[in-house]
Amino acid sequence: MSNAYLTYAGKRLGQAVIVILLAYIFTFVVVSILPGDPITSVLRNPQNGFSEQEIAEIIAAQGLDQPVLVQLWHSLSAFLTGDLGMSMRSNRPVATLIAEVLSSTLILASSGLAVALFLAFTVAYGTQVVPKKYGQGLLRAFPSLFLSTPNFVIGLFLIHLFGFQLRLFRVIEPDGFWATFFAAITIGIPFSAQIAEVLIANLDHEAEQDYAAVARSRGIAPRRLFATHLLKPAALPVVTVIALTVGELLGNSLITETVFGRTGIGSLVQRSVSTQDLPVLQAIVSLGAVIFVLVNLIADLLYPLLDPRVKIVVGRKRRHAAADDAALGLEAGAKP
Amino acid sequence: MASQIALNTAPPRTDFKGPALVQARPLLKVRNLSISYGRQQVVHDVGFDIGHGESLALIGESGSGKSTIAKAVLRLLPNGATASGQVVFDEQDILSLSERRFRPLRGRDIGFVPQDPGNALNPVRTIGSQALEAAALTDERHPAARKALILETFAKVGLDNPQRVYESYPHQLSGGMLQRVLIALAILPRPSLLVADEPTSALDVTIQKRILELLSRLQEELDISLLLITHDLAIAGERAGSLVVLKGGVVQEAGRTSAVFSSPTSPYARKLHADVPALNPDRYAKLRDPGFARLADDRQAKISVEGVTKRFSVDGKVLTAVDDLSFSVAAGTTHALVGESGSGKTTTIRLLLALEEPESGSIRVSHDTVTSPGVSSLRSVWRHLQLVYQNPFTSLDPSWKVEQLIREPLDRFRIGSAAERSAAVQEALANVGLSADLLQRKPSALSGGQRQRVAIARALVLKPDVIVLDEPTSALDVSVQADIVEVLLSLQAKLGLTYVFVSHDLALVRQLAHTVSVMQRGRIVEHGTVHEIFGKPKHDYTLSLLSSIPSVRGEKVSAPAVRRVAQKELAL
Ligand SMILES: Nc1ncnc2c1ncn2[C@@H]1O[C@H](COP(=O)(O)OP(=O)(O)O)[C@@H](O)[C@H]1O
Ligand SMILES: [Mg+2]
Repeated sequence: MSNAYLTYAGKRLGQAVIVILLAYIFTFVVVSILPGDPITSVLRNPQNGFSEQEIAEIIAAQGLDQPVLVQLWHSLSAFLTGDLGMSMRSNRPVATLIAEVLSSTLILASSGLAVALFLAFTVAYGTQVVPKKYGQGLLRAFPSLFLSTPNFVIGLFLIHLFGFQLRLFRVIEPDGFWATFFAAITIGIPFSAQIAEVLIANLDHEAEQDYAAVARSRGIAPRRLFATHLLKPAALPVVTVIALTVGELLGNSLITETVFGRTGIGSLVQRSVSTQDLPVLQAIVSLGAVIFVLVNLIADLLYPLLDPRVKIVVGRKRRHAAADDAALGLEAGAKP
Repeated sequence: MASQIALNTAPPRTDFKGPALVQARPLLKVRNLSISYGRQQVVHDVGFDIGHGESLALIGESGSGKSTIAKAVLRLLPNGATASGQVVFDEQDILSLSERRFRPLRGRDIGFVPQDPGNALNPVRTIGSQALEAAALTDERHPAARKALILETFAKVGLDNPQRVYESYPHQLSGGMLQRVLIALAILPRPSLLVADEPTSALDVTIQKRILELLSRLQEELDISLLLITHDLAIAGERAGSLVVLKGGVVQEAGRTSAVFSSPTSPYARKLHADVPALNPDRYAKLRDPGFARLADDRQAKISVEGVTKRFSVDGKVLTAVDDLSFSVAAGTTHALVGESGSGKTTTIRLLLALEEPESGSIRVSHDTVTSPGVSSLRSVWRHLQLVYQNPFTSLDPSWKVEQLIREPLDRFRIGSAAERSAAVQEALANVGLSADLLQRKPSALSGGQRQRVAIARALVLKPDVIVLDEPTSALDVSVQADIVEVLLSLQAKLGLTYVFVSHDLALVRQLAHTVSVMQRGRIVEHGTVHEIFGKPKHDYTLSLLSSIPSVRGEKVSAPAVRRVAQKELAL
């Protein structure tokens, strides 16, 4: 591992930490200026039946009587030490509440990703090796077809067909294998369309490059051309696509959980929103930010290792002749 | 019979024997080949033969269908292209063969060397892994033996450190090295036919020469037949036994190289011959020669550069781009800066235009000091000194009309009234020989030659004394290049312009320059009048540059200097 790479990795890591902190602060500010005062609407809600003394205790424990900046400071420093605070409603640690449901959501999201990758690569492979007369066009239509279908529609359709009609899984048992499988497909299909779209465009681009023609002139068969030549350069940008859409993946997982009636982060969010349980919401949003930033960090750190063309340049200013010609007005009518 | 096959254009030459083109049992026999992309037919009824161990060059300007024919022979035509006729390789018709039957011929019997080596290897795989694909086509079974064969072939094509090349990725090698790799991969399975599509046009001149020599040598050594595609008649003349001249997908002329060169019969071949700088060193003598008289007059120095040094620091290392550079250019003459890429030509231009500041030395243009002036005097420098860029396809803003493009410098310097500006635009346009009805067009509706004329008109409109020409014709076909050179030299004669002409095309420099500076690694290694440099070169580097000018097989070498160089090289 070169020095330049370590410098680069250090820089990216630092940036990631800063982004997470800013995201935390931003969420905190947004949550605290949200309309509605949690003290009146949650604690004094007669349904919850807290006594005045209990309310006072909760207020003191949460520090809700402190100025906002002090609250932020406490909350942020606790967050940095891994302490997510206490839920306002159930008086249990937020970390425990999240831990109970996180694995279910992560399993769903990662199965969704696996389904998406499998579908995308299969379809993309098909577009390169299936001849025009045997339905290549159909494969090519796949991404645009599914890109525009909302995933809950797919979910409801799958539940209806496989749950109610074919009775492949029991709708009242949403964590079973088949239920999870179809939930993963629900997430995977629209996501795979996004990946496949990029992948197919890249493969077509690579297939047009001179090197592909030269490789074919060496007698490489189409399938080997795909596997040994086109796949890697075409798939590399997909790493970035996945990293950038991980937020969407998580969001879709929450929606799909709800559609399939699974317990997970989705149901926790639902409950916390309806009861204005701010510490839980703050923790979940921050967690989302952490996951997003981490995934992108990993993608950025991985990319230079995967792509031999990427050379990390540290602190060198590139000279662009045309750019400073333009700056001097020398060739204003000329395009750089 | 023979004439019908070899020459598809009117008038048919009944006297044509064409031993090279129609043979009893040629290795490759092309007959009535027509190719269309969709509805547009781009190759019309082409025919030729290549015998065992022979070489044939397919030449023509860009778009004449050369690559399309090559792709038909290699069966690499894109979807949507249709070919009719016959391409018979070793008694089998390639066009009608199924892909399954043709695949065994790929690489093993027909090798391919592509045009742009920078793009012809997979960028994310090592050279070695791609070389193994070629080695898999040989009889060698063992991986270790295959690798040994690859390394041996790398050494054969002149790669110094085969093991390092084997482990490298394409972007870690220079264009010349990559082209050697590609040639190595193509010859490794010992094909009987090699198709080389402009194998050197993306390379530096001195490297071009070496790559072409390598190809010729291997072709003889391994007894390979060569289909060489080129736009350069001079290269074809030097390298091929026979020629097929194409225009618009139609064969204009075909025959033994010596015959085509000594007595071209078709008007197009004659024009092509006349337009190639290497074959016509004195073509512009009438226009240029008056300039030599001005060289004697010392007081007339339009540009003088004295002891200029420019350094860049790259990755902590200091790189001397231009080192103690001195030259002067007499008014109304052309000074050529020649050298390989990286020799400092571009930096020199940028210094002249005050886009870079030198560490030391001084530059004067028309007695104004260019070095470290204030902004206002910079403007006056640019009024006297204009630049014409290399590539007319990218240097003009595509959204502007010709009229705006040419007028823009006047607007920027606020020169003249609206009527005067429009008159100046008309005049500049007339000077470069364009008609006024082009004024409302956009660059996309112009040909490459027309665009470069617009770029020259743009430079002329400020009535500068000096025009810096940065490889102004290198993106153009020879015939278009000849037109542009004609325009430039007539302008010089008419307006007394001084040119600084940057080029790596030595043959072109020989045609139009008065004085020459040869640059290598930021220094001027030799300078003098064009006659001195080309007639009595002293420096070895100049010699190697000059030897890159092709001479012609089977014809008396036209420029005596080149022959002397060749002899001297042998003696070295
Ligand atoms: N893939 C393609 N699709 C459509 N037209 C093409 C294609 N490739 C080349 N052409 C056209 O065919 C003609 C011949 O091109 P080409 O064979 O590349 O010429 P050359 O190699 O001599 O420059 C040109 O008019 C070009 O625009
Ligand atoms: Mg071509």
